[in-house]
Formats: sequence, structure tokens, C-alpha cells
Amino acid sequence: MIELLEAVDELDFIEGCCLMQADQVVFSTFPAERRNHETIAKKAFNYVFQNAAKLRSAHDEAHLEIGEKRVSGFLLEGNQILICLSSKHTNIVNVRNNVRELHSGLQQQAQIV
Amino acid sequence: MADYKILFTGSVCSGKTTAIKSLSEIETVDTDAKVSDSVIRRKQRTTIAMDYGVLELTDTAKLHLYGTPGQERFRFMWQLMMSDLVADAEALILLVDNTRTDPFKDIRFYVEEFRDYLVKRRLVIAVTHADVRANPDYNYYMNELKRMGLFTTVLFIDARDPADVLKLVKEVVGRREKTVDWQALAEKLSGNSTVPEAVAVPEEVADSGAKPVSLIDAAINTRGITGAMHLGADRKVLSSNVASMQSQALLKAMVNLVSALEQKAAFLGNIDSFMLCGEEQETLSVFVEEEQALGMCSDKGLSLTVVKQQAADLLQWSRDND
Ligand SMILES: Nc1nc2c(ncn2[C@@H]2O[C@H](COP(=O)(O)OP(=O)(O)OP(=O)(O)O)[C@@H](O)[C@H]2O)c(=O)[nH]1
Ligand SMILES: [Mg+2]
Repeated sequence: MIELLEAVDELDFIEGCCLMQADQVVFSTFPAERRNHETIAKKAFNYVFQNAAKLRSAHDEAHLEIGEKRVSGFLLEGNQILICLSSKHTNIVNVRNNVRELHSGLQQQAQIV
Repeated sequence: MADYKILFTGSVCSGKTTAIKSLSEIETVDTDAKVSDSVIRRKQRTTIAMDYGVLELTDTAKLHLYGTPGQERFRFMWQLMMSDLVADAEALILLVDNTRTDPFKDIRFYVEEFRDYLVKRRLVIAVTHADVRANPDYNYYMNELKRMGLFTTVLFIDARDPADVLKLVKEVVGRREKTVDWQALAEKLSGNSTVPEAVAVPEEVADSGAKPVSLIDAAINTRGITGAMHLGADRKVLSSNVASMQSQALLKAMVNLVSALEQKAAFLGNIDSFMLCGEEQETLSVFVEEEQALGMCSDKGLSLTVVKQQAADLLQWSRDND
């Protein structure tokens, strides 16, 4: 699990990521000075994916731009949420493509944890 | 005979057609059509295919000028032009309208769109409409571009003034075409100038005959947007044509969340946008400003960069027509 999150971190435009189960953080590589972003992201993505589920919609990806940063949330199987932090000036497609690549791996790993 | 090509691009109203008309000695091929849809009523004409003009620099050097259509819905033309007509152009000139809320957003958008094209050629940034709004100024541009990692030439021009636009040409081909008499060229082209003699009437006033339509109508006429919701400063819905109850509820939830976060996390900076996507789902997005907010439903195939740019255009349009 930890290895996988570190692999995500190697994509250097991703400044930190975090895996959540329900509203608990399973593991996080968010830099200490960005903990506030992590807290906001946790709240925002939990809320929006819960609303989507309640309304029977299959939205599973969200991006919130705040200040100079962007937090992106990806809903994984087993209701885990992967959160990534990047500069809002990077292309979202890069974030998405690279996270998607690790998506299936993460899903497998998620079962182990 | 040396033939040079230059491609002009930039947002709607940035002055592409005007710049090419300022320089061209032939009747320019312009494919401007009356703005028939409600998207941008403040403008009388918009380019739908492309602009083309020619300028003889010397007896042995000719310059071909091409301009892209600005509206995002004609974006397929950009690709078409880059891969064919202007595949061998010397430079891309990005015209930036200084009166836009965030000119740097435009720069980012176009640099991203033309990223591959720029690998092999020069980018020159030409700031227009600075006579209407002087800020951001030259130093601000240079600092901000440096911060963005863009090391490029910036010139402030009035696209209506041939002598000004000629500076761009000199910047691009001047080093290779040393025998051009720039002074004489400027004089020859001075008849093309469309700079008003007297004090210009601000465009908003001049255009006030055109009845502004609602932001929702404007949104609906934008490619890929299927529904929109306009909210006021208090984040209450002013008008909406979002058909699906599901999307409506989700957009409202997103706006509520952003409002709550705005209060709690103000110290982190403004929340510009919140977007929700899914493999088979319409993209839902929320854009907030102090005075208004916009919720949009758009085609899932539309890139998020484009969605953001469209929202920025619509919000600007709404402010202009307030
Ligand atoms: N005040 C001022 N007006 C300008 C300047 N440059 C262009 N204009 C005016 O801005 C308006 C729009 O210019 P266009 O050349 O039609 O813009 P465009 O980039 O071709 O727009 P699209 O074809 O719709 O993408 C015209 O009325 C020009 O006269 C400038 O530097 N200052
Ligand atoms: Mg034009």
C-alpha cells in the first residue's frame, strides 16, 4: 500500500496524496504544510461523493481549485477515496491519466489493507 | 522569393482580424459573420473560419498572415490550420486582450492548446486593448510569465495601428530580412489604420442597442454545455435551465459546499472551481466569484480545461452585461 502511494508521489507534479476509507485516512503523503488542503479535500470529496451516491449518480472524480492549488478526488472500489494535490496550473488530464493508471492496482491493494 | 508565415491566435475580441487587416495589402480574406447567436452580443462580428492577409516586405520577401477563429466552438479549425496551412509558420503570435479579467488564464489556455505546435516555433505575446485598460503592465507580464516558466517576448500593441502590428513582424523576421525598410512600410500601411481620430466611444456604450440576453441563454449556445445555473452573491439560484433533477440537486450541493468552504478556509485562497466527473456522466462544474456563481452541465467528452475557459468567458460576459 505504502509503496503504491509512493509511486503516485513520484509523478512530480503530484505534490502529495492520501487514501481514505470512510472518513478515516488510511495513509497520507501530504506535506505537513499542506495538511489544511488535506482536511478540506477530505470533507469536500466525502460530501460530494455521498451526495452523488444518494442521488444514484455514478460520478467518481472531482476537482477542487483552491488558491494556487488543486485537490483531486477519485472514488475507488470499496468506497475508498484517493486524494491528490497538485498546482492548479498543471493539466488535469495529467493528474487523471496517471492516477487512473494506478487505479486498478490501488483497488487490488485496497482489498489487502 | 522568401515566403514567411505567421499565425495569430487569441481569445474572442483580442484583435486577430484587426491585426491582419492592419497589415494586409490585399483585401483580406475574412470569414467574419454577424454574431448571430447570443453568446457574445457585445461583438458585432466574429471570425468563423480564419483570417488571411499578405504583406510584401521587400521585392524578394513576402509575409502571409493567418488568424484563427477565436470562439471556442470553432476550435476544430485550429488543429486543421496547424497540421496544414500553417504547419510551416515562423511564429505563433498570441494576442491577449488586456481588459479580460485574468489575461494569464487566457495565456495558459492557449499555450496549452498550442503546446505541440510551439515546440518548433517562437511564441510572441502581443497585449492589445491596453489603451482601454493599462494594467497589468509590461513588468507585471514579465514577472508573471517568468513565474509560469514562459520565457517569451511581450509587446504591447494596438491591433488597429499598422505601425504597432508591424513591430511584431519585425520581431519575428527582422533578423533574417535585414533589408526591409520598416519606416517606409509603416507609412505605406498607415491607410489601413482603424484607430479612431477622436476619443473612442467605449464599446459597451456603442453597443448598448443590442439587448443583452441572459447568462443561461449564452451558456446554452456554447458548445458542449447542456445546462446552466446562475447564482447571485448570496448563492441563491437566479435562473436555471438544468433539466435533470439529479444534476440540479448535485450542482446545488456543490454550491453549498463551496460556500461553506469559502467561509471556513478563506485563508487558503479563493475557490475558483469545483468539478465533478464520471466515465458515463455529464460533467458538473461550479465556478464562484464574489458577485455571482455559475453551475454548468457539460458533455463528458469536453476537456476540463475547455470547460474552465468557457465558464470564464461566460462569467466575464455576464459581468460586462450587468
Ligand atoms: N481599443 C482597442 N480596440 C482594439 C484593439 N485591438 C482590436 N480592437 C478592436 O476590438 C474589436 C475586436 O477585434 P477583432 O479583430 O474582430 O477580434 P478577433 O480577435 O478577430 O475576434 P474573433 O474573430 O471573434 O475571434 C474591434 O472592434 C477592434 O477594432 C486595441 O488594441 N485597442
Ligand atoms: Mg476575427
